[in-house]
Amino acid sequence: MPSVKQSGQDTGKAYWRSLNELAGTAEFQDWVHREFPNHADEWLKGDSRRSFLKVMAASFALAGLTACRWPEEKIVAFSRRPEAVNPGVPAYFATAMETGGYGVGLVVKSFDGRPVKAEGNTEHPCSRGATTLQAQASILEMYDPERGNRYARREGAQTAYPSRDQFNHEARSHFAKYQANGGRGLYFLSEATNSPTMLDLRRRMRAAIPNAIWYEYEPISYDHEREGTRALFGRPYRLQPHFDRAKVILSLDHDFLTQHPASLAWARDYAASRDPKQDEISRLYAVEGVYSLTGAMADHRVILEPSRIEGFTFALLDKVIGLLGNDFHLSSAIGDEARRFRNESYPQDVLNAIANDLVNHRGAGVVVAGPRQSAAVHAAAQLLNVILGNVGETVGYILDAQPERPHHYEAIADLTRQIEGGAVETLVILGGNPAYDAPADLDFSEKLSQVSTSFHLSLYENETSKRCSWYVPRAHHLESWGDAIAYDGTVSMVQPLIAPLYEGMSAIEAVALAMGDELTRGYDLVRRTFEPRFGAENFEAAWRTALHDGVVANSAPAVVAPSVDEERVLRMMRDVEPPSATPTTDEIDLVFLADPRLYDGRYANNGWLQELPDTLTKLTWDNALFLSPATAKTLGARHERMARLTLDGESKEIVVYVMPGLAPNTAAVWLGHGRRDAGRVGNGVGFDVYPLRASTAMDLKPGASIEPLRQRYILASTQDHFAIDALGARERERRVKTLIQEANHQHYKENPTFAKEYGEHYPKHDLWTPPVEYDGHKWGMAIDLNSCIGCNACVVACQAENNIPVVGKQQVRRGREMHWIRVDTYFKGDPNDPGVAHQPMTCLHCENAPCEQVCPVAATVHDHEGLNVMVYNRCVGTRYCSNNCPVKVRRFNFFNFNYGLREVEKMRFNPEVTVRNRGVMEKCTFCTQRLQEAKIRARNEKRPLHDGEAVSACAQACPTKAITFGDLNDVKSEIARKHEDERCYSILDILYIKPRAQYLARIHNPNPELVNLDNADTNHGHVSHT
Amino acid sequence: MVTSAIREYDNTGNDPAVRQPLVTGDNDFASVTDKVCSVVESKTPLAWYILFGISSFWALILFAMIAYLFWEGIGVWGLNVPVAWAFDITNFVFWVGIGHAGTLISAILYLFRQQWRTSINRFAEAMTIFAVMTAGIFPLIHIGRPWLAYWLFPYPNQMAMWPQFRSPLMWDVFAVSAYMTVSMLFWYVGMIPDLATLRDRAKDKFSRMVYGVLALGWRGSHRHWHRHEVAYLLLAALATPLVLSVHSVVSFDFAVSQLPGWHTTIFPPYFVAGAIFGGFAMVLTLAIPARRYLGLKEIITLRHIENMNKIVLLTSMMVGYAYAMEFFIAWYGGNSYELFAFLNRAMGPYAWSYWTMIVCNVVVPQLLWFKYCRTNTIITFIIMIFINVGMWFERFVIIVTSLHRDFLPSSWGMFYPTMVDILTLIGSFGFFFSMFLLFLRFGPIVAMAEVKTVMPQAHLEHGHRRGVGDYHGDVHDANNSDSK
Repeated sequence: MPSVKQSGQDTGKAYWRSLNELAGTAEFQDWVHREFPNHADEWLKGDSRRSFLKVMAASFALAGLTACRWPEEKIVAFSRRPEAVNPGVPAYFATAMETGGYGVGLVVKSFDGRPVKAEGNTEHPCSRGATTLQAQASILEMYDPERGNRYARREGAQTAYPSRDQFNHEARSHFAKYQANGGRGLYFLSEATNSPTMLDLRRRMRAAIPNAIWYEYEPISYDHEREGTRALFGRPYRLQPHFDRAKVILSLDHDFLTQHPASLAWARDYAASRDPKQDEISRLYAVEGVYSLTGAMADHRVILEPSRIEGFTFALLDKVIGLLGNDFHLSSAIGDEARRFRNESYPQDVLNAIANDLVNHRGAGVVVAGPRQSAAVHAAAQLLNVILGNVGETVGYILDAQPERPHHYEAIADLTRQIEGGAVETLVILGGNPAYDAPADLDFSEKLSQVSTSFHLSLYENETSKRCSWYVPRAHHLESWGDAIAYDGTVSMVQPLIAPLYEGMSAIEAVALAMGDELTRGYDLVRRTFEPRFGAENFEAAWRTALHDGVVANSAPAVVAPSVDEERVLRMMRDVEPPSATPTTDEIDLVFLADPRLYDGRYANNGWLQELPDTLTKLTWDNALFLSPATAKTLGARHERMARLTLDGESKEIVVYVMPGLAPNTAAVWLGHGRRDAGRVGNGVGFDVYPLRASTAMDLKPGASIEPLRQRYILASTQDHFAIDALGARERERRVKTLIQEANHQHYKENPTFAKEYGEHYPKHDLWTPPVEYDGHKWGMAIDLNSCIGCNACVVACQAENNIPVVGKQQVRRGREMHWIRVDTYFKGDPNDPGVAHQPMTCLHCENAPCEQVCPVAATVHDHEGLNVMVYNRCVGTRYCSNNCPVKVRRFNFFNFNYGLREVEKMRFNPEVTVRNRGVMEKCTFCTQRLQEAKIRARNEKRPLHDGEAVSACAQACPTKAITFGDLNDVKSEIARKHEDERCYSILDILYIKPRAQYLARIHNPNPELVNLDNADTNHGHVSHT
Repeated sequence: MVTSAIREYDNTGNDPAVRQPLVTGDNDFASVTDKVCSVVESKTPLAWYILFGISSFWALILFAMIAYLFWEGIGVWGLNVPVAWAFDITNFVFWVGIGHAGTLISAILYLFRQQWRTSINRFAEAMTIFAVMTAGIFPLIHIGRPWLAYWLFPYPNQMAMWPQFRSPLMWDVFAVSAYMTVSMLFWYVGMIPDLATLRDRAKDKFSRMVYGVLALGWRGSHRHWHRHEVAYLLLAALATPLVLSVHSVVSFDFAVSQLPGWHTTIFPPYFVAGAIFGGFAMVLTLAIPARRYLGLKEIITLRHIENMNKIVLLTSMMVGYAYAMEFFIAWYGGNSYELFAFLNRAMGPYAWSYWTMIVCNVVVPQLLWFKYCRTNTIITFIIMIFINVGMWFERFVIIVTSLHRDFLPSSWGMFYPTMVDILTLIGSFGFFFSMFLLFLRFGPIVAMAEVKTVMPQAHLEHGHRRGVGDYHGDVHDANNSDSK
């Protein structure tokens, strides 16, 4: 029986050394290579059980190699089971994912060597167990059969496809020249990365090839914050707010709840500050021009054209300084400078109210500014935090990981100049897609063709790859070693869960290759990076702990309170031009937004993200030009009609989407669409607006002109906000008041059970049948509308967990999307200044379920734990259950949506969930497979199930813990507490369905200065304010 | 032609002192037999081939659409969530509704001794059978996995699974199949003497064989007649409750659910009235051309047309009342969801279909108050076409407008039919007409034996009771009322 010990090296060190040796042997390398990537097309053809098992064995071997917890083992087929490897029993690995230079910790579930589900890492301070949509969807990305799967070399029209070894050989000889000449003519363009190993490699590079030049570019950059803090403190800092301690939060065009590298943590903190059981909950002001999810949560949403927010911020600074009086400790010159920004065109009552609130809550406020706002706004926002005494209380700072790095937007412009100057001989592009997303005026994709030798390391062979002389497949973050620094500075390990499917190499490996490092393998590179940190003494222990936890303990730098460099501040303020007192009303601000799903376009080939309905617009498979109803009317533009958008002479035809709540004279577009070389999923979806985005105006630009066209364009949106008649709109408004219970905090304190009092109620007990007793478990769900920020993570988590198919734009258009959980969004009030409410909606698991009574074949039935279960095998597909479902959460397989999947795509399926065939109804199961797994585990360990052990995928992914899941019979459980909460109510009580999924009412906290609380319709009032 | 100049004999008089004849013209038993049988025995007219060609072409389209549906999945239709039923169930209810008139005419009018039914009952029953056959297609093909349709039937199986008896769809299976069985039996039992007639008149061996087998050895003996009439009476008694039950049960598909717009107690009587209404309209739609082109004007007389028109008018008023009552209850009941469902019908995105329904089913049939319209076959025919359209839309309105906006505004949606939906609908008519044309060609389309019983000749032996008995008209001078 082979075992851990059998190979003879018994000690820990020998154990690892032997593995290294094993990994280094030619046979092993050959074996891995033979089994894997050279024959990646085996995935597409052969799927015999034998070949599958062989591959499985290989992935186990690699898992054994890579993950510290696997036992040492010679590679054998599964004829003999390696100890501690139980087929069908999932293993979990902590890893991390870096986006835009910021890492977020993950724990990835792996079945028999196949990663199938990403979860947040509870140990990671920027994840806390929650995940972003992109992290959830990265599983699909990894198994994407359209990822680049071969090395390619282009010479003119010729393309050759060398093997990895050939590539290594040629690359080594190519880069040998630079190692000799100190790197002159060698340029790197990387996507933003703060990976410690990469920083370490660059340090070595500066020593070895000092003339090689390194640039970083991200189309969606947070660098304005760096510049703002630099202007304030002299060095670039990262703001570390503590929303949980805040009483007043001011967001200046910042969607900090969902669109920030630290959003998961911030959203959790924000939700904590809104717990209505406190005496005073936080109050959120959002000043913004485009409706964001943060704006949707705000107690007061101040609608301003994005270009006027700068003036607003300084006007507010002036007000605050005025209110502080003698408490203002900085130089009075700053106050004098701020006085220039007094401006009557801003709503004075709002300015006064916010200023009063901030001053009254000194030391308990947080002011944040969004990445699209100028460095001056960031500086002013942080200056507000400083003078209000928030620093050290609710706000802290850490130094940025690369303080000297130039601004992303400048870096790419500089590189372009270098190419023009002929200095660039060899350009190595690490990730990113600059040919697609570089500022339009640089004409980067044209310039790129002028570089004699260019390498592109990328997951996909995309627009940039097609213009480079070499394409190098990149290993996915689930396939490679690496590390990352989170927004708060915490260092995490990236460890692979599977060998690269397509022979890809990681960025650190590519850099090591280019600079001729003695180490070539990511694993070795990362270990070398951490040697000084962990020390040689107990390196293995520290390394293994870090891998196990997914974070390096105490790696986050201490939060500091840097002192204000008053001279710099004054200089900066003098440079800012005060806004005109009579704002022009005919200029349209064009705002470039990151797509909430596709980000800058890098996820364009990800069907889960393409089909994910954006929370506010419910748009799938497209982007659009967002206009407010009033602006659209003025311009004569109509919903779902094309328009010609012109900015600085560049014009682009794009479909119009009339979006309530946009500022007047503001148009917004999502970046990341209209890809040409994304892959079959993403090609040609939506409209590419990068050509309008010049390096001088990367975020917003006044002066766009919009010319409506007659041509229709059909959008696939899963909930129609506008294409609805007056009758329907009126009824919707009326119903939302019963579906979504909300009240002001004051009203809630006076009448905590207000939510239960809506509408008609039926007796809680049936007259005819005795109530069913659920003796064992009694599963229930609670969704706290006060915490739900509408981030959509639950939707993608559910899709990943439950093998939910992607159906495509045409099917979404027909109303056949398959998501088991959806986030309903309702606008209310004036369309130009509406309030918004979200309501995640999934199967309510009614105890008295209407669906069950009408199924003629008993395919949907109740189980003894109160789950409304769907028996796919029995379902014949009459769809009667869907008709009788009052919340329409049942989803029907109108076609075989899983037909024609390639073998590698099938690998992503969660083996614990049936893949449904056509003609079968499906719906939320409360993740019954997870419940079973937890119950079996508890039974094997002869103990009762702990609260929080069995949890649905949506609840696990939720950043704000708005979704609670558990056993209602466990009286001490979180879920039982939530169901007992006075805010808890069930929707559609009139139907006597007795839902197990219940809602907790939303609580607002408007400023009494701005809203008359006595007169306001406190229960269902629209409390946003212009 | 000369005959066309002769005005059709008007037997629609309402003078109670005058017993109007139910068979006009100079007909005796032999001529009735000749006329009815000649339809079958004459050389197939070209028109039949043309009509059958068109119908069977569409029937083939129907089967092609079904094949496509089976191959691809339900998604070839325009259905979605929330509108998970649309054309499929609309067509089902429409055709089941059509299938009502036949048995109503045969069974209920038989039990009520409405002698005029004899001319049209065979016709109507055949229509019923074919309509129910057409209807039966839809529940089978509308399910997502039609190859498992047999799971809807309670049969012993290794899974030890019964169907779920609380489901109205389950009840449907029983109601429709029971109705189909009894209607079939009723139709067939009634047809036996006429099949024997065809057998006896058959000129070639093949048809003699076929009709011979179908006639089950009928020899016309007294004992045969006696047994036949007892069986017929019993079947009529059995079929009568089914007429009421089948559409009540179909209406339960909707009424038992909790969807606003479906969940109404008025549905069973409303559906039955609607079914009779639609069924009679379809009988008239078929009978008017048939009597004209098959030379049956003397057997299916204006009086028959007028009587049916009266029933159509009555049932039109009933469905009109139901429409109004639905609205009243939606308001009076105080359930805002239901109120909205109805307002949405009349004023929402599908208002056009609602008003089509109202115009076709309630407004247009009001013309039938006028005797001129009731006795003018062309006007009647046009009105009946309106009603057929209206009745289809009635089901569409009930199904689609209720589903498309239910409880949560977030899940509201719209249904747009695909070409497959539309071709399937047209194809179902093709199938129905193909079957009907085949029957016209090969079956006894009028119950000859029964018609003869309502002719004066049948009662000659009761000389002393002439004019007061149960016969109609007089052998020699039907219009002369003074024959005592």
